[in-house]
Amino acid sequence: MKRKMIGVLLSVAMVASVLTGCGGGSDSADTSQSAEETVQAEDSQEEADTEDEGQEAGGGIAKEDLKVGFVHIGDPSDMGYTYNHDQGTQKMQEALGLSDDQIINKYNTPEDAECDTALRELMDAGCNIVFGTSFGFEDYMLEVAKEYPDVQFCHCTGYQAASSGLENMHNYFTSIYQARYLAGIAAGLKTENNKLGYVAAFPYAEVISGFTSFYLGAKSVNPDVTMEIQYTNSWNDPKKEAEVAQALIDDGCDVLSQHSDSTATATTAEKNGAWQAGYNADTIAAAPKASLTSACIDWSIYLTEAVQAVIDGESIPTDWCQGLSEDGSEDAVYLSPLNTDIIAEGTQEAIEEAQEKIRTGELQVFAGPLKGVSPEGEEYEVKEGEHFPEQEEVSAPSWSYIVDGCTEVVE
Amino acid sequence: MNTLLNLAVAAVLAGTPLLLGTLGEILTEKSGNINLGVEGMMFMGAIAGLAAPYLYEQQVLLVGSTPSKLAGAFLALAASFLAGALGALIYGFLTITLRANQNVTGLTLTIFGTGIGNFFGEYLGSQAGGYVALGDELKAAFANLSIPGLSQIPVIGKLFFQYNWVVYFAIVLALCMNHFFQRTRVGLNLRAVGEDPATADAAGINVTRYKYAATVIGGGICGIGGMYMSMVTTSGVWVYNCVSGYGWLAVALVIFATWNPARALLAALIFGGLTVLRLYLRIPGMPMQIYEMFPYIATILVLIVTSIRQSRENVQPKSCGKNYFREER
Repeated sequence: MKRKMIGVLLSVAMVASVLTGCGGGSDSADTSQSAEETVQAEDSQEEADTEDEGQEAGGGIAKEDLKVGFVHIGDPSDMGYTYNHDQGTQKMQEALGLSDDQIINKYNTPEDAECDTALRELMDAGCNIVFGTSFGFEDYMLEVAKEYPDVQFCHCTGYQAASSGLENMHNYFTSIYQARYLAGIAAGLKTENNKLGYVAAFPYAEVISGFTSFYLGAKSVNPDVTMEIQYTNSWNDPKKEAEVAQALIDDGCDVLSQHSDSTATATTAEKNGAWQAGYNADTIAAAPKASLTSACIDWSIYLTEAVQAVIDGESIPTDWCQGLSEDGSEDAVYLSPLNTDIIAEGTQEAIEEAQEKIRTGELQVFAGPLKGVSPEGEEYEVKEGEHFPEQEEVSAPSWSYIVDGCTEVVE
Repeated sequence: MNTLLNLAVAAVLAGTPLLLGTLGEILTEKSGNINLGVEGMMFMGAIAGLAAPYLYEQQVLLVGSTPSKLAGAFLALAASFLAGALGALIYGFLTITLRANQNVTGLTLTIFGTGIGNFFGEYLGSQAGGYVALGDELKAAFANLSIPGLSQIPVIGKLFFQYNWVVYFAIVLALCMNHFFQRTRVGLNLRAVGEDPATADAAGINVTRYKYAATVIGGGICGIGGMYMSMVTTSGVWVYNCVSGYGWLAVALVIFATWNPARALLAALIFGGLTVLRLYLRIPGMPMQIYEMFPYIATILVLIVTSIRQSRENVQPKSCGKNYFREER
């Protein structure tokens, strides 16, 4: 009986301490943090200073005290999206001279409550700026961003930063459609059946914008070309990707491209003697006989810019998007080296010409006359001489119309 | 016609890894052990089945000769079997010897195997400086066969005689297993162990030995199913999370096949066909989410039908999930 009483008392004490602990934390996150972690004392001091100035990021943070957090949906072993983003992180780290323990990566975070946990762990670790790289993280980031107004939150592929009204919430993405257009040129010149196939993840604007630009690139050099699109309904499911790729090839497509994470599309194309243009990673090592080239993103430009802004105490743009730069000195998107053994003759020249025109602004990928229908049945038309303002006002892709020549298999 | 032919071929290819996982799990469950770690064992088989030929290839290339197809195929088969068997051995030791809860142990094995597969896949990838990818010679060992004379016959050649060797291996294995259960004394003993271990024990059957053998060999077969994912589906390139839930489909398929290896052949074909159906046959206006539900709707229907028929033949072995305590008889 005595023992039981002690047990009850102990558990009551424990619950009470937990409750008070939490209460203190939410009232003033900064004070409880500095009390708990003496190591972070300096950081908190810095944050307190910024608060005095009443600026969103004003004052800046000494480079040595800076902590950068990342929330990733996968890890670099995917050799695709996360790998590519991680490469950007490393380049940024090198450019700014940050040490390894100043960068905290949360890999393999699902798009659910675990994202919230990961973000709060990063807050506890004293991060000054946090990058979330997957679409589904945005809502969780918005929540945490409200509670930590001194920390900068940068979300990739999202669209809610501007409408949220939070000064510390930002969206970023790159004009990958430009690189896809160039990859499409390689595909359009290579195809013999005049039929391209596209292994797509989901019928979202990001994906539709990607395959439309790929198709328009192919069409610019091969007016007869058509394209069939099939969805896997998953970002990474190699078996499904292989099956979809096989189905497209069975349907007569001889050059494939994909918006999904694995190399299964590339290797399936190789197995069937077809060709493939990749996304995010150079797939030539995985499928040397099929991979023409890949449309890639260089994230380091944004990451360096954003982290530098925190160091300097400057504000980060709410929406950031960059593609091919005018002078070619900082291209946020690029085409991986062409597989010279298998590309069609004249591919290199055609791509270079188009790339130059995109740089100068002479060539717009989504230029009129262009007609499309959204998956919901809404029609959209770009008139002759005009162009669709893709990613000009917001960083996330917004073209979500299927153009003539593309058959999307939803049903 | 052409579409149907393509659909049939795609169904066979989609069904094969499921069939192997299912056969392994049927063998395990026949001994009265339900091993929910199929996914984990497939992951272990997937990485071992890729790593063995890959390392072999690296060694051979170092010496300067070309790797042999046969050796590569054999290494992949043996390594994946051993890896799956190792996973099952852990499970077997915990549930048969230590009598741990079968469901929990199986689930743990799934997490363990998934971690093992992805860890070593990533490790090999970083060693290779990017992808773990096999060379042409070994990739060809898992390419579609071309049997002179037979593969060239129109329609029939494509339908029956041009798959990779693992497909034929899986079919033969299913038929052998069916024969083993129905026609051999050892198979009968194994079924007795799964139905009522106490009675089997009284009849002089070594229950522990049968349970271990069935679980370990069953795990090995699941491992081969995993090897199919890394060697055929992704063509000898390690892809993060490549098994991605297909181990669980195999567990569902065991029910669909009503614990019968011969029926598993048909069930895997139907299951495989239903998973790729939307890519080949399009019914206008049908959302693709409905297509993705088909395999599971089919499983539920089979469950309903078998429970209505109340047949004693086509149900889960009676002692499944319960550990055998000799002292409790």
